[in-house]
Amino acid sequence: MQRKSPWLDSIVLVFLIVTAVAMMVPYLWMVVSSFKSNMDIMSGQGSFFPTHPTLEGYFTVFEDAPFVKWMWNSAISAVIITIITLFTSALAGYVFAKHQFKGKRILFVLILATMMIPFQVIMIPTYLITARLGLIDHLAAIILPNLVSSYGVFLAKQFIEDIPQDLLDAARIDGAGELRLMIRIIAPLILPMLSALGIFTFMNAWNNYLWPLIVLNDTDHMTVPLALVYFNGTHVVNYNVVMSAAVLITLPVMIVFLIFQKQFIKGLTMTGMK
Amino acid sequence: MNKSIEAGNTSKRTFDKGTTRSYQNEKWFVRIALAPILLLFGVFAFLPIAWSLLLSFYDYSPLSNHAVFTGMKNYTLLLQDAVFLKSLWVTFKFVGITVISNIVITLIIASAIYAIRIQWLKNLFRTLFFLPAIAPLAGTAIVWTTILNYDSGLFNVILGQLHIAPVHWLSDPKYALLSVIMMTLWADIGYNIVLFIAGRESIADMYYEAAILDGANRWHLFFFVTLPLLRRTMLFVTITTVISYFQAFPQFQIMTKGEPFNETRVLALNIYDQAFSNSNMGYASAMATIFLIIILIVTLIQFRLGRASWEQ
Repeated sequence: MQRKSPWLDSIVLVFLIVTAVAMMVPYLWMVVSSFKSNMDIMSGQGSFFPTHPTLEGYFTVFEDAPFVKWMWNSAISAVIITIITLFTSALAGYVFAKHQFKGKRILFVLILATMMIPFQVIMIPTYLITARLGLIDHLAAIILPNLVSSYGVFLAKQFIEDIPQDLLDAARIDGAGELRLMIRIIAPLILPMLSALGIFTFMNAWNNYLWPLIVLNDTDHMTVPLALVYFNGTHVVNYNVVMSAAVLITLPVMIVFLIFQKQFIKGLTMTGMK
Repeated sequence: MNKSIEAGNTSKRTFDKGTTRSYQNEKWFVRIALAPILLLFGVFAFLPIAWSLLLSFYDYSPLSNHAVFTGMKNYTLLLQDAVFLKSLWVTFKFVGITVISNIVITLIIASAIYAIRIQWLKNLFRTLFFLPAIAPLAGTAIVWTTILNYDSGLFNVILGQLHIAPVHWLSDPKYALLSVIMMTLWADIGYNIVLFIAGRESIADMYYEAAILDGANRWHLFFFVTLPLLRRTMLFVTITTVISYFQAFPQFQIMTKGEPFNETRVLALNIYDQAFSNSNMGYASAMATIFLIIILIVTLIQFRLGRASWEQ
């Protein structure tokens, strides 16, 4: 092992504390600004902490816009996307890992290849397709294109391949159908991978900005990342309102992350190492 | 046939009847399971790629509903379009600076976190550096816009206390791109820190023990043991970071809108504006095609370089 050096250890610790505190400053700024009053901001004294802490910004967020509706839109679409993506990924992963059929390799390579395509390359035709399906300004426009994930299929295939064939054959001899096999035997065995994929999918769906920006124009149908921009446009001066909205939008993902942190970190390293 | 090879060891002759029936079941299962999934991939991934290529040869606006075939016209126009050429340059500048700084910074922080001996402290630091990465980028961009505000932003308040003249962070051509780079790094370093820590953890102690016996000091260990053995992680981290920075969008659209003087008009923003603000979808598709080619070439080069360094 490396030789111990208390001096170096303390330098490293101090370095990390200083940088970590610096990393937290924008969050502190966000929270502190959300409690400022209009007076504080207009006076332009530029004091970091609010002189008269108030919930004014938060009230305005709920009064001026259908904010609860937006939260609901985001939550419902993110949950549906996550559940279905997990299902389709596991299913496709199972088929690609444990079944033989014509064109299997080509199909799998094609699906993998879509991982490298930047969204900006396909967004115009995807918009045109969505428009033709009559889905503009519907939550379905957010949900439908996001129900499959090439990354999810890839991960699931990798993990299902490691499941011994004997186990599946034994269950088949006992008369289990393919779908039952997948839900009862495979899903529990790949649960760690599924939970990691689930958190990733949920956060990406919750945080997605570009696609909702393209397909959601009607104020009533927006998701929360668009809400921020809405407030930023209407309350340029009162950024206590904008910051309050930012706090409300960031909080749910933070909570989800802190709860599932372990699975998240594991999932992240899984992709890098496999 | 394939089935019998796959299950060959376990299913005995006596189960022949059963296996044929379940083979039939399996065939149907594959068809029914894959059909909806492939339909979704087809409609929202394969078809758009082909359509986008096709669209780049047309003059198409969703408002007129008439697509006029123009051949290579969009591409020849692109080569004369000063804004497009500038956006290419800005994109490469942004990706280059941000990726290199990202990797240097994350490597330093990850090594520092790895060196901490107390487990909970290690986890705490990892979490703190990761938190910005999970916040919605749109929110982060707006928070940073207020931090960089000329009149009341945190940065200028601090400069004021140090008696330094305030800076137009987002509207001065000298600082605009730099400001977005700072914000992007803040929002994004968590991912690579986690990956580097995991990569470092997977290096066996014996390499270090052997090097120490040979008289290596800390710097030797880092440059001649850690770095070479981190190559796999490094390759993965570089490729994913490069691809994601090429696509960086919310921070540019929200913080600078491509201004001042197109100093921050990256390709991703340019494509969006042409397609959805100017309804110039054929032209935007031609840009998208060039964007795709760039990403493919850059990725191929990285794979080549990565492979070459493994084989040494």
